[in-house]
Amino acid sequence: MIVLVSGLAAGALFAATALAYNVMFSTSKVLSVTTGHIAMLGGVFGAYVITGLGLSPWLGLLAAILVGGLFGYLTDVIAIRRVVSRSDEHLWLLSTLALATIVQQGVGLWWGTEPRPFPRLIPQDFSAGLADQKYWLPIIATGLLAIGLELFYRRTLYGKLFVAMSEDTFAARARGIETDRIRALSYVIAGVIGAVAGFAAGQLTFAFFALGLTLTLNGFIALAVGGLGSNVGALVGGAALGLLNAFSANAIGGEYQNTVSVGLLMAVLLLKPEGLFGARNVRPV
Amino acid sequence: MTSSSLRSLAGTLVAIAAVATLPWWVADQYQLHLAALIAVYWVLICGLNLVVGFSGQLSIGHVGLLAIGAYGFAILAGRYEWSPYLSLLACGAIGGLCGFLLGLPSLRLPGFYFAMATMAFALIVAELTLALGDFTGGGVGLAVPPFPEPFASPEGFYLLAAGAAILITWLTRNVAQSQWGRGLIAIRDNPVAAESVGVPVFRMKLLVFVVSGMSAGLAGALFGSLQSYITPDTFVFELGLFFFVCIIIGGRGSIYGPLFGTIVLTALPEMVAPLAKLGNLFYGLALLAVVLLVPEGIGRVFEVLSARLRPRKLEHGAVEPDARRLAELLREERSR
Repeated sequence: MIVLVSGLAAGALFAATALAYNVMFSTSKVLSVTTGHIAMLGGVFGAYVITGLGLSPWLGLLAAILVGGLFGYLTDVIAIRRVVSRSDEHLWLLSTLALATIVQQGVGLWWGTEPRPFPRLIPQDFSAGLADQKYWLPIIATGLLAIGLELFYRRTLYGKLFVAMSEDTFAARARGIETDRIRALSYVIAGVIGAVAGFAAGQLTFAFFALGLTLTLNGFIALAVGGLGSNVGALVGGAALGLLNAFSANAIGGEYQNTVSVGLLMAVLLLKPEGLFGARNVRPV
Repeated sequence: MTSSSLRSLAGTLVAIAAVATLPWWVADQYQLHLAALIAVYWVLICGLNLVVGFSGQLSIGHVGLLAIGAYGFAILAGRYEWSPYLSLLACGAIGGLCGFLLGLPSLRLPGFYFAMATMAFALIVAELTLALGDFTGGGVGLAVPPFPEPFASPEGFYLLAAGAAILITWLTRNVAQSQWGRGLIAIRDNPVAAESVGVPVFRMKLLVFVVSGMSAGLAGALFGSLQSYITPDTFVFELGLFFFVCIIIGGRGSIYGPLFGTIVLTALPEMVAPLAKLGNLFYGLALLAVVLLVPEGIGRVFEVLSARLRPRKLEHGAVEPDARRLAELLREERSR
């Protein structure tokens, strides 16, 4: 039972990372290497504000959201805006990789390279077992984020602009949509999603500078398993990956986490390359 | 032989002579160690350059292959007491085999997926070196035997590494200048067009990936012997990123650009103390600057500068219009 719950909790974080991938992908067709680092920033700045400055958890959450949104915006300004207009598809991969390295190493220099504990958000003693907040906080946070994102897409004008842009950027621009501003907004939203998830899962992952890279990989695996562009797929893929990791760690030991995750990725890519809920890719010609 | 090819031959000979005599004019042992490290890195980067620079496959996980080479050498030459030279060749073969096994599924994937697969490979290798403690020594690590005389001294080892580096540079240069190199560049610039004119895209990608795996295995064996003791922490993911950054900064589709990038990026943090403190942050900043300002790489900057400094000779002399033919043409046009 503890395996199931902890797997779901880790899966919720992967799913939220996959959601952030999706939001950025929908407007710019870019899979940003910085996605996992957003969640890392949320965790680190949350811990910094609450433990380091001694402020209340709500202010910590606020700081995480601000930092995440700001980092999302900066990603767009620095790494995406100048690059996405060029036809070379590799450039965005290089620029986001560079930015991810800068952020990770910068945080490493400032925060230290050891994982630091994340404070308790709600008063609760450590004997709660399965009901411990470190398990259910990320699950609830991801659920709320997914519902909020779905409502945003369906009910608001900006959400509809996102959908229009993900269908066809050029047509959207021809209809008078300011695609640059919408893209920047999508990066801010992705930053907020990642930061909230990273903040909520902080007690599970600790505030650790190298978390970003692992999450970038695992979020991507969740996304590829669920299907690129599908939010339901992101949730299912994240949960599946989290559960698989937890059960395999229970069965054969925790040393083979990455091997198992990548095995799942390879199996899905070979059997169903577009993922469980993804749209079939058009051929490049 | 034309004068330009004579000049390039002379340049190559001077460069080789400079590399070969380096142990006698460096200031101290540390600089010699640095030079050997650059040569070892270059053995890997030169092979990786065929994959990243020429065929455009963004592999950021070659540190995994480097680790396999180093552990292979430590185990074969150290534990089983094979001859170091045989172990060196065996490590090249193992690296090539691992490159084949990694490339077979992952080279079918599009850009970002491929980069993630190679990164995952590097993480898996790091994980396995920790997990398979009986075999690799786990977190404690393994001692790596040195090469026997005459390559045991720092000078000797440097010459061995430099020899390997020159050999592999020569090989990749031959590949790059042949039909193969053109085919690889075509794959990088437009895979669909390359396939339509008959370039066997997947086979060529796989072949250069195997070659890069072999060079990574060789480099790993040399690297392990140079470090003389390896642990999983020696092969952090950032090292793979460093190899990748060297190529991108030097410029894709060239050989001397990445060589320049390797030398500068290895030596600069060692020479300038504040940069060493920044560590990998410096590589990230350098990569970002190059991608945003000169996506073609530093090599391109030199080309532009040399074109500025040495403007091409302009044609002087008047062009005589052929008035009679022009009049005839006009008449024909009018009569039609």
